[in-house]
Amino acid sequence: MSGGKDKKNRVNKAHGWEEAGGEFYQESYPADWEGLQRDPAAIATLLPSKQNRAATTRRARSTHQDTKGSRRQQTATRRRNSTARRGSQYHEVQVAMLPDLSQDLTDEERIWEEIHEIKTMPVSMAQKKEMKAQLQNATKLRLQGLDQIKWQRRKVWHQVVAKWAEVLTKMELWRNSLKEIEGNFGTGVVAYFLFLRWLMFLNLAIFVLILSFVVIPHVVLQEPMDKPCDAISESNSTQCCTEDYFNRTSSEKFSILDIIQGTGFMEKTLMFYGMYTNKIFGHYPYENASSVSSSHSSLYRAELYYDLPLAYISITAVYFLVSLAAIVKAASREFKDRLVDGEGQFYQYCNLIFGGWDFCIHNEKSADIKHKALYNEIRGLLHSKRLEYERHNRSRDFMFKLIVIRFLINILVLIILAISAVVIYILFEISLRHLEPNYKHSHSPYKLFQSTSTGTLASFNAYGTINSNLTSSTSSSGEQIDEELANNDSLILRSAQNDGMLTLEMQLQNLFHEFLPYIAIVCLNVVVPIVFNYLVEFEQYSPMFVIKISLLRTIFLRLSSLAVLLSRFYFLIIPEVVDDECYRKNSGTPQCWETFVGQQFYKLVITDFVTHIFVTFFVNFPRSLFAKHIRSKFARFVGEQEFELSKHVLDVVYSQTLCWLGSFYAPFLPAISTVLTFFMFYIKKFACLVNSKPSSILYRASRSNSLFMLILLISFAIAVIPVVYAVAEIMPSRSCGPFRGLRSVWDAAITAFMKMPQFFQNIIFFFGTAGFAIPAFVVLTLFLYYYYAVSDANKHMVQVLKNQLVLEGHDKQFLLNRLSSFIKQQQEYQKKMVQYERDREQKNARDRNRTAADEE
Amino acid sequence: MGQTKSQFSEEELQDYEDLTFFTKKEILFAHKKFKQLAPEKVGHNKNAKLSMNKILQYPELRVNPFGDRICKVFSSSNDGDCTFEDFLDMMSVFSDACPKAVKAEHAFRIFDFDGDDMLGINDLKQVIERLVGPDNCVSDNDIKQLIQNILAEADLDDDGALSFPEFEHIIDKSSDFNNSFRIRL
Repeated sequence: MSGGKDKKNRVNKAHGWEEAGGEFYQESYPADWEGLQRDPAAIATLLPSKQNRAATTRRARSTHQDTKGSRRQQTATRRRNSTARRGSQYHEVQVAMLPDLSQDLTDEERIWEEIHEIKTMPVSMAQKKEMKAQLQNATKLRLQGLDQIKWQRRKVWHQVVAKWAEVLTKMELWRNSLKEIEGNFGTGVVAYFLFLRWLMFLNLAIFVLILSFVVIPHVVLQEPMDKPCDAISESNSTQCCTEDYFNRTSSEKFSILDIIQGTGFMEKTLMFYGMYTNKIFGHYPYENASSVSSSHSSLYRAELYYDLPLAYISITAVYFLVSLAAIVKAASREFKDRLVDGEGQFYQYCNLIFGGWDFCIHNEKSADIKHKALYNEIRGLLHSKRLEYERHNRSRDFMFKLIVIRFLINILVLIILAISAVVIYILFEISLRHLEPNYKHSHSPYKLFQSTSTGTLASFNAYGTINSNLTSSTSSSGEQIDEELANNDSLILRSAQNDGMLTLEMQLQNLFHEFLPYIAIVCLNVVVPIVFNYLVEFEQYSPMFVIKISLLRTIFLRLSSLAVLLSRFYFLIIPEVVDDECYRKNSGTPQCWETFVGQQFYKLVITDFVTHIFVTFFVNFPRSLFAKHIRSKFARFVGEQEFELSKHVLDVVYSQTLCWLGSFYAPFLPAISTVLTFFMFYIKKFACLVNSKPSSILYRASRSNSLFMLILLISFAIAVIPVVYAVAEIMPSRSCGPFRGLRSVWDAAITAFMKMPQFFQNIIFFFGTAGFAIPAFVVLTLFLYYYYAVSDANKHMVQVLKNQLVLEGHDKQFLLNRLSSFIKQQQEYQKKMVQYERDREQKNARDRNRTAADEE
Repeated sequence: MGQTKSQFSEEELQDYEDLTFFTKKEILFAHKKFKQLAPEKVGHNKNAKLSMNKILQYPELRVNPFGDRICKVFSSSNDGDCTFEDFLDMMSVFSDACPKAVKAEHAFRIFDFDGDDMLGINDLKQVIERLVGPDNCVSDNDIKQLIQNILAEADLDDDGALSFPEFEHIIDKSSDFNNSFRIRL
C-alpha cells in the first residue's frame, strides 16, 4: 500500500494540478500531462465530477469541516460527496490531504464517527486499516463533562444495536432455506417466501392479541355464577337456552373425527365462539341476572371489571386494523416509488440491465435459465414497442373479430363462474339437507367409532371410493331424487340413532357429506384456472396483461365460491327467532350458528391445507419424478412444472382470507393459520425446489411484491365486508357466545359507549353533526388541492431542471471541445515555434557558416 | 471453528468489525468460506493471496457473468487476485447491511469495463452481452436499440454515456437493485 501511495504522491508532486486518486484505474487513467498533450480529448477526465469520486483517501480528512453541523451519518456522507465534488481547487484539497495535524484538532466523538464511516469507502482493506490507525493516532480533544457522557451513551447504544442485530440474524427464521431458494430461483421467488413468512407473523400477532385479551382473561378470571334455569320462569331466557345448548353438546368423549370436523368435544372448547361467556368479570349480578338490561345497570357496583363481550368486539376491530396497517405499510413503499416517478415504467430498461442479474444465484443450471429469462425479457421489451405499433395498425376486420372473440370469452368466463357458484350452492344444499337432522345428534354416533377411525388419511382414502359412487348418482339425478335421497338418509340416520348404532359406511357418508362442498370448492379451484389459462390464449393480450387478467379471474373464482358459501350460511341463519324459542328448530338453523360458521371455516381451512399436501406430495411429486427419470417428450409434457408464482400466491392469500373471515367465530383460527402457514412454507419449499424447475418468466422482486400486497388488499377488503355486516346486522344466537341475548353484536359496543362519561359522548356525537362534517369536508378539500398544486409544481420543476441539465451537458461538451481545440492550436503553435526556432537556428548556423566561409 | 479463531487476534477482528458491515462471528464465517476455496494455502497463511481462478470457485461468483470484474474491482493488486481482506471487503459490500450508495459505487466500477469512469456505449454493450449469456444472441440492431433506450432514460446531460451521478440516480430509483445486488454469506 505505502509504495502505491508514495508513487501517487510523487505523481502529484510532479504534476501539481492533477490528482491521481484512482488507484483502480491507474493503469488506464490518462492522468499525466504528457498523455493529455497527446490526446486533448482526455481533458474530460480532469473534470471535478470525475476526479473526486475516485480520490477517496482524502475524503475522510476533508469531511471534518462540513460534517460538524449534522450528526447523522447519512447526511454527512451525502454532504461529503457533494463537497468533494464541488471542491475544484485541487491545491487546497491536496493540502488538506497532507498529514497536517495541526488543523485537525477534533474531539473524540468526531474521530469515532469517522472511524465508523471508513467502511463506506470503496478502498481496499489495507488502506482502511491505515486510515483507521491514522485517525486513532491523531491528536484529539478529550470530551469534557456532559459531552463525554453523551458520547459514552452513544457508544453503548451503538453496541446494543449491533448486538441486537446479531441476535436477530441468528434468530431469523428459515435463513438457510431462503438462501437455497434464492440460489436456485432468484429474488422474485424468494419474495414469495418472505411474503409467506410475513403472513405467518401477521397471524401470530393476531393470535397473540386474541389470546391475551380474550382467551386468557376468560381462563384466568373467575366467571360469575348465574341462577340456574329452573329458578327462572321464562323458558327462552339466555340462561335456559345456554343450559339447553350445553346439555345437548355435553357428554362427549374424545374422537379423532371430531378433531378434523370441529364438532363434539371440540365444540365445547374455547376454540369456537360459543364457549365464550357473556359475563362481565369482576362483578356479581347474581341477584338480578334474570334480564340483560338489569345486569348492565348493576355494572358500577364493582370498581374493577373486565367486560369480555366488549373486549371480544374491540379486539376483532383491532386485529382487522392491525392487518390493514401492516398491509398498507408493506405496500406503501412500492406505491410511493411509483407515485414519485409518475411516469409508470420510468426506468424499466435501466432496471433490467443494472438490476437484472441476481448476484445470489449459485447454481449453473439456474444461471443458464436466468440468462435465458433475461434474454427473453430484453427481447420482449424491444418487441413490445413494435407490438404497440402493430396494434395501431390492425385492420378493422381483424379488430372486429378480436373484439367479438374477447367478448365471447368473457361471457364464457362469466358462465363458468356462475356454473361453479351454482354447483357449490347445490352441493352445499345436498350436504345440509343430509346433515340437518343429523346436526342435533351428530356427536353421539361418533364415539362408537373412535376405534375404527384410526387416522385421517386412512379415512380419506375410504371417502374416495364412496366419492365416486355418490358423485355419479348425485350428478345424474335431479333435485327431486336428491331430496328423496336426503330424506332417506335422514330417516336411516334417525332410526340408526334410535338403535344407538350406525354402520361404518353411514358414518363415512356423513363425513363425506359434511366435507362435500369444501372438496368441490377445492376441486373447482384446481380445474377452472386451467380452463381460464387455455381460454386466455385466444384473446391475444400482451403478456403482462395475460398474467393480470388470468389472476383476476382466478381471484373471482375463489371469492365467488366463498360468497356462495357465505350466502348459504346467511339464509340458514337469517330466519327471525320467535320469542319463545331458543332457536328455530324447524328451519334447520343450528342452535349456535356462530359456532357452526366457525366450524365451517375450520373445516375449510383444514381441507385446503390437506389438498395442498396431497397435490404437492402425491400428484406433483410423482409427476416431477416421472419427468426426471423418463426421457421422452411425453414425460416432459406431463411432468415438468414451473413454479408459477401467481398460483401459489393465490393459495396463500386464499387461506389468509379464510382466516380473516373465520377468526371472529373461531378465535383460535389465527393460531391454526400460523401453524399451517409454518408448514406451508415447507410444502411450498418442496414444491419449489423438488417439483419445479426455474421459471422462464422473469419475476422481479419489486413487481411481485406489490402484486402480492395488492391481491392481499383485495381479499382483505372482501373479507371485511361480511364480517362487518354480520357484526352490525345479524342477531347473535341466544344459547351461546359473548353476545347472547343482544339484538346484534354491535349493541355490546353501543352499550359500552353509552356507559362512558357524558362529556366524552358529547364529543363523539359532535363528530356526527353537520356542524363538524361540513367544515371538515371543506378543510380536507383545501388540503387535497394544496398537495395537488404542490405536486404539480414539483413535476414542472423536475421538467425544468431536466432541461437545464441537458443544456449544461451541452455547454460542458462545447467548452471541452473548445478547450481541446485550443490546446491543439497551442500545440501546433508550439510546434511551429519550435520549427521556426529550429529553422532560425539552422539559418543562423548556415549564416554563421556562410560568414565563416566568407571570412575564410 | 476453534482453529479459525486462533488465526485472528482480537485486535484484528475488532479492526475488521469496524471496517466492514460484519460482526465478528460473520467475519469468522467468511474466513471459513474463504478457507474452503484453498484449504492448505489459507491454513498456512490466513491472509493468503488466491488467484482469480480460485476466487471464482466461490459458488455465487462462479456463475456470475461479472465474476471476473468483481474480482478485479475488489482486488487490491488490481489483477483479480484477492487476499482474505479483499474477499472480506467484497462480501461486506454484498451484505444486507451495506447502504445503497456504497453498493452503487462498486456496481459502477464493476460495469465500467474500460475504466474511463463513464458507462459508455461499449461498457453498456458488454454488460448486455454478459447478461444475456454466451448461448443467446441478441442482434446488433437490438443492442443498439436497447442502449439507445437506456441512454434516453438515464443520460440526463445527454453526453452519450452514464456518469456516476446519473448511475447513482438510477440505482436510487431502482427498487430491485438492493435485492439483486446481494450475496448472502
